[in-house]
Amino acid sequence: MKLLTISERLGMVNYRNQGKSQATPHIKVNTDICNSTCQHKCTTMVCPANCYTLDEMNKVHFQFEDCIECGTCMFACDQGAVKWSYPDPENGRGVNWNFG
Amino acid sequence: MDDKFDCIIVGGGIAGLSAALTLAKANMRFLLIERGEFSGAKNVSGGVLWGNDLNRLVPNYWEEEDAGFERFIKHRRLTFADHESSFSLDFKSAHYEKPPYAGLVVLRSKFDNWLAGKVEEAIAASDFPEESFIATNILVEEVIKENGKVVGIRAGEEQFFADCVIIAEGVNNLLTRQIGLQDDYVPADYMATGIKEVIRFDQKVLEDRFQLKELGGMSNEFVGASITNGIEGGGFLYTNRDSVSIGLVLSIKDMREKLKKSGKSIYDVLNDFKKHPVVAEMIEGGEIVEYSAHVVSMGDMRVMPKEIYADGVMLTGEAANLLMNSGKAIQGMDYAMHSGILAAETVVEAKKAGDFSANTMKNYRAKLENSYVLKDLKNLQGAVHLLHDKTLMNDVPNLVCDFAKQFFTIKNEPTEPTRKLLSRSINKHSSYMDLLKIGLKGAKAL
Ligand SMILES: Cc1cc2nc3c(=O)[nH]c(=O)nc-3n(C[C@H](O)[C@H](O)[C@H](O)COP(=O)(O)OP(=O)(O)OC[C@H]3O[C@@H](n4cnc5c(N)ncnc54)[C@H](O)[C@@H]3O)c2cc1C
Ligand code: SF4
Ligand code: SF4
Repeated sequence: MKLLTISERLGMVNYRNQGKSQATPHIKVNTDICNSTCQHKCTTMVCPANCYTLDEMNKVHFQFEDCIECGTCMFACDQGAVKWSYPDPENGRGVNWNFG
Repeated sequence: MDDKFDCIIVGGGIAGLSAALTLAKANMRFLLIERGEFSGAKNVSGGVLWGNDLNRLVPNYWEEEDAGFERFIKHRRLTFADHESSFSLDFKSAHYEKPPYAGLVVLRSKFDNWLAGKVEEAIAASDFPEESFIATNILVEEVIKENGKVVGIRAGEEQFFADCVIIAEGVNNLLTRQIGLQDDYVPADYMATGIKEVIRFDQKVLEDRFQLKELGGMSNEFVGASITNGIEGGGFLYTNRDSVSIGLVLSIKDMREKLKKSGKSIYDVLNDFKKHPVVAEMIEGGEIVEYSAHVVSMGDMRVMPKEIYADGVMLTGEAANLLMNSGKAIQGMDYAMHSGILAAETVVEAKKAGDFSANTMKNYRAKLENSYVLKDLKNLQGAVHLLHDKTLMNDVPNLVCDFAKQFFTIKNEPTEPTRKLLSRSINKHSSYMDLLKIGLKGAKAL
């Protein structure tokens, strides 16, 4: 069967508050830590929604909009860079699973 | 109405809803708060709800036209795979057709919502139909303590008070950490990520492919390095009515160490699993309708909170990391259900005794210790540790597939004695010594 890319997969996710232009971020990442002391940069590989990415200069960037609230980065980051919380139901992003 | 509830439940997943249903039937006044738009909107599982605790909560649920579940388990399969073969333990029985069923395949968005409906019905039938509530779309931000005792919660500007609080917030347990029962940072060591797709088929195609009759369904677990790219964990495939749930459970710590080397991301590992020749044939022609993921505990008790109760508060379900992963099944939902029921029973006792301090809350631990939840968790820790064992996870699947290939291949040549075939496979993929060690560990663990 056809295998999907990550953007095709995320395209199927039913995100909340998509109409709102400015959603409040629910996860804050101190990328200064990512780009100085962190050796493994593992969140760029373990995040199932590709919210942590590396650019050509090997610098870590984070965006919360595609986050599917799985919690992985909260455990995976052992460098203290991730401040994790749940999205605000009114003003945050986050998911509404159709199947779960 | 008194301005204080008997109990506030945080989280309307399986643990929270099971507690709520038990409280409603016991005529308690409670408030359940769920952050999702509805119960289930935020929840992901494989998943099979094992055992028959549901029958305790909703007697004869199977008599309902559509009781929230997809299929009952009639056919179980545990598959060991190498890169091209599979060797399965396969068990199917008409015995499983009779309710109460041994396991139910569920999709949480639907199942939790159905269970929430049962709670609403029970509230309506209770002595306080106007005084217990399920409130959705509200995020609890803080557990309020007074003089060291939990007395309520805060959501935004609003505060609600109760004699006690049941925390049923799931594995991403921010509130459990906030009240100090677990450390602020929980390391990845005993945690996994479950990643999954729901793939839809024409129902007839699905039923023919998996030989499903009526609501009978199949559960298939997969073990082997070629299933998980060598990462600690395993695969699953469960049949829903007109779709399958397929995915992997992968150790976060092991991914941190191994993904970099392979240059892959977690979702590539899922694609590799789907490409495995044995798996690819099972899902051929389907249409992906959802991609999802969620953290899941691995059943190692070392990650559990320091205590599962304190003055005015109890932890249930995966908020307390109550989960068993024995390799042949993941049990998180039944543990959530059972712990939710027991916590609610403790609330009823506390109300009777007029004491919601740790002195009564500790009965919750005692009940859990006496139940299959903590008994199994304690007794099967050896089996859980065994799942981290390289010999078992990598060598054994390769070995059995290699042996089976030789055993089942008929070549029009003189056949070698089976003993010799086995010995060759063992020496190729492992050693008698390693197998002996695993055998001894296994015997001790079970
Ligand atoms: C891929 C995968 C496969 C799995 N397979 C199986 C399986 O086959 N069988 C099995 O038994 N288990 C399985 N599990 C484990 C199972 O899903 C969990 O153990 C189970 O869901 C735990 O139930 P719970 O009620 O404790 O928590 P959850 O189901 O996580 O529910 C927690 C609820 O609390 C809500 N919440 C959290 N914080 C707040 C807050 N602050 N305010 C308001 N609401 C809040 C959430 O929105 C959620 O509804 C699997 C898990 C995964 C990820
Ligand atoms: S593991 Fe932590 S510090 Fe390292 S890149 Fe990821 S978020 Fe940044
Ligand atoms: S919670 Fe999950 S999806 Fe969201 S950023 Fe962290 S790892 Fe990615």
